[in-house]
Amino acid sequence: MLRALSRGTLPARALPVRARRRRRVVLAAIVLAGVLLIVVLVTSLAGSGNSGVSTVGGNASTVVYQAGHRPLAPEFTGTTLTGSKLSFSSYRGKVVVLNFWGSWCVPCREEAPILAAVAGKYQPSGVSFLGVDVRDTTASALAFTHSFHVAYPSVIDQSSAITLDFTAKVPIAGTPTTLVVDRTGHIAGAVFGTVTYPGLTAIVAKVTAEGG
Amino acid sequence: MTDVRAPETDPFDPAAEPDDHPRPGPSSPGAAFGPADWLKWGWRQLTSMRIALILLFLLALASVPGSMLPQQGSNPSGVQQYYTSHPDLAPWLDRLGLFNVFAAPWFAAIYLLLFASLVGCVVPRTFRLAGSARTLPPRAPRHLARLPRSAEYTTALPPQEAVEVAARVLSGRGFRLRRPDDADSSQDWVSAEKGYLREAGNLLFHLALLGVLVSVALGGLFGYKADRLLVQGQSFADTVSALDEWHPGRFVTAADLGPFTMTLNRFDASYIASGEQRGQPSSFDARVTYTEHPGGPARTFDLDVNRPLSVDGAKVYLIGHGYAPEFTVTDARGHVVYKQPTPFVAGASGNFLSEGVVKVPDAQPEQLGFTGVFVPTAVNVGGTLESVFPAADNPAVSLIAYAGNLGMDSGAPQSVYELDTSAMHRLTASPQVLQPGQSLKLPDGRGTVTFTGYVPWVSLAITHDPGQLPALICGIASLGGLLLSFMIRRRRVFVRARSGPSAQNGTTVQVGGLARTDAGGGFEAEFAGLAAELRSAHEQAAQIPPVQPPQQQAAEPRHEGE
Repeated sequence: MLRALSRGTLPARALPVRARRRRRVVLAAIVLAGVLLIVVLVTSLAGSGNSGVSTVGGNASTVVYQAGHRPLAPEFTGTTLTGSKLSFSSYRGKVVVLNFWGSWCVPCREEAPILAAVAGKYQPSGVSFLGVDVRDTTASALAFTHSFHVAYPSVIDQSSAITLDFTAKVPIAGTPTTLVVDRTGHIAGAVFGTVTYPGLTAIVAKVTAEGG
Repeated sequence: MTDVRAPETDPFDPAAEPDDHPRPGPSSPGAAFGPADWLKWGWRQLTSMRIALILLFLLALASVPGSMLPQQGSNPSGVQQYYTSHPDLAPWLDRLGLFNVFAAPWFAAIYLLLFASLVGCVVPRTFRLAGSARTLPPRAPRHLARLPRSAEYTTALPPQEAVEVAARVLSGRGFRLRRPDDADSSQDWVSAEKGYLREAGNLLFHLALLGVLVSVALGGLFGYKADRLLVQGQSFADTVSALDEWHPGRFVTAADLGPFTMTLNRFDASYIASGEQRGQPSSFDARVTYTEHPGGPARTFDLDVNRPLSVDGAKVYLIGHGYAPEFTVTDARGHVVYKQPTPFVAGASGNFLSEGVVKVPDAQPEQLGFTGVFVPTAVNVGGTLESVFPAADNPAVSLIAYAGNLGMDSGAPQSVYELDTSAMHRLTASPQVLQPGQSLKLPDGRGTVTFTGYVPWVSLAITHDPGQLPALICGIASLGGLLLSFMIRRRRVFVRARSGPSAQNGTTVQVGGLARTDAGGGFEAEFAGLAAELRSAHEQAAQIPPVQPPQQQAAEPRHEGE
């Protein structure tokens, strides 16, 4: 207020001051726009890695855990699609391929024939295959196992509670996820996403060869 | 923000009034303006109050489309509807991020700039305020009569003692005092200032403002938001594969999700049955059972629209509901290939006329698909079904059946609310209406579809925001600081004592005062009271001279002033 008053008493300076201020405002607006543009570019580049669900994709990532660094698979019991009780502890002493899937999940349908082929090759040599059917219904899941001739059992995990237990050990971010559990009940390898025949057989062969 | 301006300058000097506008701009004549100057100038612009206000306004403006257009995070079906109703405009809006405003880069740009502006403005200001809260009052001006408030009287006390008495009175009233330096002992004055709490309030406001910003950033980095549609009778665990949408903060991974599980036991919605408000919801109640961690005790809770459940650091909100008609599909072999409640989503037409699709990828010999409409209270109006009430009083579905390739055996993940019919052929010429228990026989012996009933579903928003409580505390603190800085005035009182021209005149006491930030007044009365108090203290002191009493006045009753 005081400033305004003192300027008011100097009419000769009033106009240039106002003109100068206007130019400043224009410049400020230009600089602001420029900085905004830069920040937009930077944030759009940096923000691309943070876009919500990053689960079911075709690009699989495979993790192999070395002996001694393998997380212990949690124990669980469940009901199979055919209605019988199943306890995971009964698989101790065997190599287990654990596949998290759902009949609604497109990449699961894509990998189903591959899994069936790997199962056909390794089941005779003592490797167990077990499905965990996530967010599914029994009718749809059974229809799926018929369509793809899945010859191994699956436990129902409609609520994802079994998945939750495993998430504490390996970062399961959706279906499909395939874990290979060694004879001591430790997770030796994980495929996040669609499995490939050579990829999965390599892990299974390695874990099976560990003796026991 | 407010006029909270660091009082680093003296109010007597208008030329030194702090100027909010950055000065030596590029327009100033003379010296060359290098890149460093540009940078400095840009930073001054950014941290000026004006730019902060402009950015704040821009932020408000930028969130407008967020409330006017359907948003991907909160209303994905609304976005899809917008796509179908505005097929030309929608892709452009999407490109501009207008369907996800609060995650759009330009929104983040405004937010980050505002953040930088506020931090750049508040931090130096905080230091200045902290300094100002510790300063001593200035030296007493020479001519106290020129101050807005002044008083003058004489007393018999010698000047030094008069000032002493005045200092005692002022200090007793909570003033901060300043006396002449030793070198300056020829003068007898005292300066007093009160209302430093104003600066403390100001400081609190600024610090709390920073706290709010940090809390919001904390929530953005370490929090997450998720959605889940839950059909009555079903359960879910708080893990990524069980969530429909998951928007983690930058430092959140799948392993950070809370390990709770939740089951929807029952959902009830009731609606006003008559009157002008007919069809408006009157109450919602979602009874859930939850366990905080696997194997923990099961508890129940009634979720309501404004009654979220706090579980394991996350909050679960009830944000929507709908109907899930139950279908059983048998294929050509007679196998039951589909048997489940299928969530349908209410459209814009009101009364929960809902749309959805059924996909049966494992039907033989060909995959089956259905697009359907669920009508809770169906009335046939000229051959088409309309819903006249949101409650399911007369439920019906209308289905169109397709056979062929659903596109589910390879390729991109699909939405459960959309049927890609490009590789399918229609089995029924017109929509077939079914009531609960009724079946539709598909042509060519492809099987049957039965509408067996319906159950409600709810949509839940799960949020974890570690910044929420700090933000609340800082918000309250900033409000308190603002109130303090508005309600408390800095005011100064000066007392000068001079020996009169002759001994008989005694000492002239001048009292002057001003409120440094007086907007509403009130200082006038305070000053008058203070001047009267000083005067009576001086009178009293003069009657009981402490050093050499001229006469004994032992019976004098006015002692309490000592």
